[in-house]
Amino acid sequence: MTNGIDVERVNGIDVLTLRGEHDLSTATDVSRRIDLALESASGLAIDLSETTFIDSAVLRVLITAQERANEQGAGFAIAVADSSGHGVHRLLTLTGLDAKLSTQPSRAGAIAAAAS
Amino acid sequence: METVSERVEIEIAATAAGVPLVRHALRGLLTGLEVPDDVIADIALAVTEACTNAVVHAYPSGGGTIHITASHLDGELDVAVRDHGGGMSPRMDTPGLGVGLPVIAAIARSVAIGSPDGGGTEVRMQFALRTAVG
Repeated sequence: MTNGIDVERVNGIDVLTLRGEHDLSTATDVSRRIDLALESASGLAIDLSETTFIDSAVLRVLITAQERANEQGAGFAIAVADSSGHGVHRLLTLTGLDAKLSTQPSRAGAIAAAAS
Repeated sequence: METVSERVEIEIAATAAGVPLVRHALRGLLTGLEVPDDVIADIALAVTEACTNAVVHAYPSGGGTIHITASHLDGELDVAVRDHGGGMSPRMDTPGLGVGLPVIAAIARSVAIGSPDGGGTEVRMQFALRTAVG
């Protein structure tokens, strides 16, 4: 799978899709895209359903995004689906941050949660 | 029992761009050894965290290299990630969560951090290849 970051706006919610693998080498770009989204969108959904790998550098970006969204009253949710890579599920479980992050089991669920 | 050994050595510039290169090389080695996908994913995560630690902490002023050695023998993989920098000094602007080493410890059969002759830091990890890890 080709790595990439896509952003689209759905009913005022920015949906940021991370495709493929993301680590320290892309964390800065992911963070920048999130910052741009939170400047203008009423909510942010981050879709990890097509993400095959993340490391703790990306996990930190996701946690910071959730904290920032909460501070400014924007909706926020992350889609962690069955199709997300083993490494995505594993990192969230090992760190215990699956309980701290606002996650949904599908892209549609994350968009709905970010809009509410 | 047949003894099978493989050894891969990689040297990368201590930059973020080098981290996925190490992960991809390790996956290639492990796929060739027919290691289960979930075990490969775990090892890829642990080694990525070790490389990220080296990139972030070893050379605060930039530059430098990281040397990775992966040795396979009889169903175990020994991975050493060595830098020649100033050690794992804390950074206020660290891009991580401070969970890298705990993640490595949870996945690896054993992990040791040393200061080898010649300076720098070496993180040595041992993984079981044929059974569930962690």
